[in-house]
Amino acid sequence: MAPTIPTELIAPAFNPATFGKRGAVHEIFRQLRRDYPLAVAEVPGFDPHWIVTRHADLREITRQDRIFHSSDRSKTLASQLAEQLMRQYTGGAPHIFKTLVHMDEPEHTAYRQVTQPQFMPQALEKLDGRLRETARRHVDRMATLGDRCDFATDVAFPYPLEVILDLIGIPRPDHARMLRLTQWLFSYADPDLCRPGASIADPGEIIETWNIVYNEFKEYYDAVIRDRRACPRDDVASLIANGKVNGCPMDERAMISYYVIASTAGHDTTSATTATAMWVLAEDPELLDKLKANPGLVPGFVEESIRWATPVQQFVRSAAEDYVLRGQQIKQGDLLYLSYVSANRDEEVFDDPYEFRPERAPNRHIGFGYGGHVCLGQHLARREMRAFWEELIPRLQSVEMADEGRMTESEFVCGPKSVPIRFQMN
Amino acid sequence: MPEPGRRKWQCRTCSEIYDEAAGLPEYGIAPGTRFEELPDDWVCPMCGTPKSDFDLVAD
Repeated sequence: MAPTIPTELIAPAFNPATFGKRGAVHEIFRQLRRDYPLAVAEVPGFDPHWIVTRHADLREITRQDRIFHSSDRSKTLASQLAEQLMRQYTGGAPHIFKTLVHMDEPEHTAYRQVTQPQFMPQALEKLDGRLRETARRHVDRMATLGDRCDFATDVAFPYPLEVILDLIGIPRPDHARMLRLTQWLFSYADPDLCRPGASIADPGEIIETWNIVYNEFKEYYDAVIRDRRACPRDDVASLIANGKVNGCPMDERAMISYYVIASTAGHDTTSATTATAMWVLAEDPELLDKLKANPGLVPGFVEESIRWATPVQQFVRSAAEDYVLRGQQIKQGDLLYLSYVSANRDEEVFDDPYEFRPERAPNRHIGFGYGGHVCLGQHLARREMRAFWEELIPRLQSVEMADEGRMTESEFVCGPKSVPIRFQMN
Repeated sequence: MPEPGRRKWQCRTCSEIYDEAAGLPEYGIAPGTRFEELPDDWVCPMCGTPKSDFDLVAD
C-alpha cells in the first residue's frame, strides 16, 4: 500500500499563501525528503498526487516523457474544480494554455523546433553585444536611483522583460502590459500582484484568471500574427506566426500559447532569479567582496542563484503506464507532483544544500528542468544574467537590505516581489 | 584558439555543447577527451539526453 503523507504536513504546500514564507516551504519539503520521499498526498478538493521530492526521482521521471505525460492532465497543481473549469472553458481540454510545457511527443518536439534555432548558443552569440548594451543601460539606470531602490520592481523585473520582448518583437510601450499579464497569470493568488477584482479565496479563481489572461493575450497577439504574416521580420513573433508543424499551420490555442510562454516564462523566472541573487548579496557582504575579487566566479554565482531561487516550484505529470519508482508501485493514470524546489535542496546531491555557494562544481541543479522538456530559454537566461552581474558587480560598492524582502504568494512560479536595498555604486 | 583536431558536439535536446578541447573537468572528464572516448551510457549532463543524440558541430 502506498505511504500517505499526513494532510497537515502537505496541505500547506497546496496553498499559494504558504509560498510567501520561503522558510515554511523549505521546512515542509525537508521533512518530506526525510520521512516521505515518495508518498501520496490526499488533500481535500484535489485528486491524490504522488509527491516526488528527490532529485534522482525527478530526473528519472522527466527523462521518460513517453511514460510520464504532460498533456493528459493539468501540468501544474490543480484542484478538481480547477480541472473541471479548464475543460469547461476549452471545450474539453485539460489545459487553458497549450504550450510546449503541456505537450507530449511527437507534438512537443515538432513545436519546439519552430523556435529552437533562435535560442541555441550559436544564435545567441550574435546577440551578445545587444544583450551587453541592454544590461549596461539597466545598470546605469540603477545608478540613477540614489542609494535605495526596490531591486525587484526597479531592476530585476524590467531588465529580463525588455530582453525577451525585444527578441519577440514587442514594442517597448507594450512591455508594461505584458508584465501585468504575466503577474496575473503566475501570481493569481498574490494580493499585490493578482488581477484586479480577483477573488483570491475562490478555488476557481486560478482558472478564471488564466482564461482572462489567455483571451487578453489572444486579442493582442492576433494582431501581431496578422502583421508578421503580411510582413515577416527578423524576430521570434515572425517565427511563430509563420511556423509550420509537420508542414501544417499551428493549432490556434497552441500558437497563442507559444506567444504566452515566451512573453511570460521568458522573463518572470529570470527576474525571480536575479531578484533572489541580489537578496542573497544584500545579506552577505563577504559574497560581494568575493565576486569583486574574482569576476570568474560570476557564472557559478548565476548557477547557484538558479538553484537557490528555483522559480518553478512544481510541475505535474501523469503516468501513462504502471511504473516502479523508488520501490513504490505507480499505477497508470496516477498523478505525480514534481517538486523542483525540493530536488534543488536534496541532501543526497548537494553538500550543505542550505548554503549559497557560487563555487559548486558541478552544480547539478534542475532549475531549468531536465529531459526533453528542459527550458528552451536556458542559454538566453544564463547569458543575460551573466551580462547583468558582470556589469553591476564592478560598480557595486556596497549593498544591504533596507527593509524586509517579500516573496510572491504562488505555488507555481514564485520569486521575490520586493527586495528593498540600500546601496552604493559608481 | 581551438586545439587542432578537437571537435564540438551538440545535444539535440538542450543545445548544450560538449567541447573535446575543454572536456568537462567538473564531471571528471579531462580536457582533450574525444567524444568517442566517452562511455556509451554517458548522457548530457544538463538534460540527460543519450550520447547518441549529439551531433557534430560544423566549423
